Amino acid sequence: MSNFLKVKNLDVKFSTARGLLHAVKDVSFELNSGESLGIVGESGSGKTVLSRATMGLLTMSTAKKSGSVKLEDVELTELTREELRSKWGTEMAIIFQDPMTALNPVRRIGAQISEGPRVRMGLSKAEAKKHAIELLTLVQIPEPEKAMKKFPSQLSGGMRQRVMIAIALACSPKILFADEPTTALDVTVQAQILSLLTSLRKKLNMAMVLVTHDLGVVAGHTDKIAVMYAGEIVEFAKTEDLFRNVRMPYTEALINSIPRITTKSGTRLPVIDGRLPDPTIPLVGCGFAPRCKYATDKCRTEHPDLVDAGNGHMYRCFFPLKVMN
Amino acid sequence: MFKKLNLFSKVSFVWIGLMFFFAIAGKLLPIADPTEYFDVTGAGLFTAGHILGTDSNGYDLLANVVVGARNSLSIAVISVGLGSLIGGILGIAAGYVRGKTDYVLSVVFNIFLSIPNLILSLVLIAVLASSSDPTVPVPDSRRLVVIIASLTIVIFPILGRITRGSTLAWTNSEFVIAAKSMGMKDSQIIKRHIIPNVLPSIYAVAFLGVGIVIVVEGALSLLGIGVGDGISWGSMLARAQGDLEFAPASLLVPLTFLALTVIACNQVGDALRQRLDSRESKL
Repeated sequence: MSNFLKVKNLDVKFSTARGLLHAVKDVSFELNSGESLGIVGESGSGKTVLSRATMGLLTMSTAKKSGSVKLEDVELTELTREELRSKWGTEMAIIFQDPMTALNPVRRIGAQISEGPRVRMGLSKAEAKKHAIELLTLVQIPEPEKAMKKFPSQLSGGMRQRVMIAIALACSPKILFADEPTTALDVTVQAQILSLLTSLRKKLNMAMVLVTHDLGVVAGHTDKIAVMYAGEIVEFAKTEDLFRNVRMPYTEALINSIPRITTKSGTRLPVIDGRLPDPTIPLVGCGFAPRCKYATDKCRTEHPDLVDAGNGHMYRCFFPLKVMN
Repeated sequence: MFKKLNLFSKVSFVWIGLMFFFAIAGKLLPIADPTEYFDVTGAGLFTAGHILGTDSNGYDLLANVVVGARNSLSIAVISVGLGSLIGGILGIAAGYVRGKTDYVLSVVFNIFLSIPNLILSLVLIAVLASSSDPTVPVPDSRRLVVIIASLTIVIFPILGRITRGSTLAWTNSEFVIAAKSMGMKDSQIIKRHIIPNVLPSIYAVAFLGVGIVIVVEGALSLLGIGVGDGISWGSMLARAQGDLEFAPASLLVPLTFLALTVIACNQVGDALRQRLDSRESKL
């Protein structure tokens, strides 16, 4: 099925003491069922706000949201709180960044996993327990029966993140938002969790939005990538296409700053100088212009639109990089 | 479970058990009549016949402390229990719902905190539990109810503010947002995620509250508006205030019982929390 998730002109502003903070600017993307999308950007680029706004989880009174989010042709932004709540868990679920704080410290793992199925799917206590053990097996936790009785403090970070995934998958959602699911974990555990997520996604035919600041993380685990900068999508392409035919200088700079196996030891990794523009000040030119080595006067005075280069590869740049082949 | 506790906790458990035994069976024990005058006044500890001494009026201190446990503990336990319940519910409501509810409840807490508790109790008793005709005294039970109610009013805003602050912190924690994102109802989130995390801070303050209430009840007794028979730790303290020079035991005995009970309450509360709270890992 095409256009399973359709986000159109999604725009999020927060009113803060320093003025209106424009966190997500007019973002549109589409996702087919079973597909995975990586949202990449540096800290403060709006990727977390984008994923939470898509789910409808931004409930603070200071947030102003506009635009449209359609999940299977249902307009989520027009639903009441109660209708939206009925979608959470069973249609969409989210995994948070820090498994240390996202689990309730005073409740046993088993109780926390079976809570969703009991309330949302109406399972009995015994059924929910059986389901929870299946889920723990699915996320490859050794001795699931024993783990059910443990408290979060008795598990390692990687195990806790697996429990988080089990909780999110408990009501078999059709789309999973993973908000930096591996940032708080060390690199070897990171790889395990990512391949677990990918294999689960394929097994359960679930769509996934993987939010991360690490291009290396999304490379092997997503079908499409959206690169975000200062609240905007600056490049959007199929994963393979993005790495092969980079058009946006920002993405190029990101890719160049990933250490490679061929990099000689002792050489300094290239870094992107400068910082993100202040989100409370409206952008005049291209947001990346002050940090871009190719920037011209046009970049500093005019705001580039998102251009489609064909085959769905979109970029926001007046002077895109040449395609190599 | 008892065997696993450390010595301090064991002693505390035994002490609280003993105090409750006094409260229930104090009048039946083979001790002096707490209201009887003896010839020895201001006797020190270990005087023959009066093991804890007597006060400046010749009352036996042991008898008073044992029998007084009933009034002191029942008033403290009931008013702190009620105050914690009311304060806890309002505090969770304020911290979880936020917005106008929070604003209104915070104002209520602040207003009740700003009323001096002695004057509040005095007014309540004068209005609700005193009779204009001295020949028709107000029944003791009615006065007890009013005292408990006024002490509850003293306790609930304290508990309410503590609970509100703690609830605020837990409401913004990621596991609550995660529970929301799983489609949990607010009532389920409060029951399963907020209350278990907020309870430890309620306990801690409530056990301190026991001590505060016992002392305030004594101040009321001093003003002549305490519980009917006037036998309580608080009233002993109040009566003995001026006697430190001649009869130090009359002040030190009830003070020691009060202090040990409050310390034991805290220790038991701590021990219970450690058993119930998994955050302190038992690995």
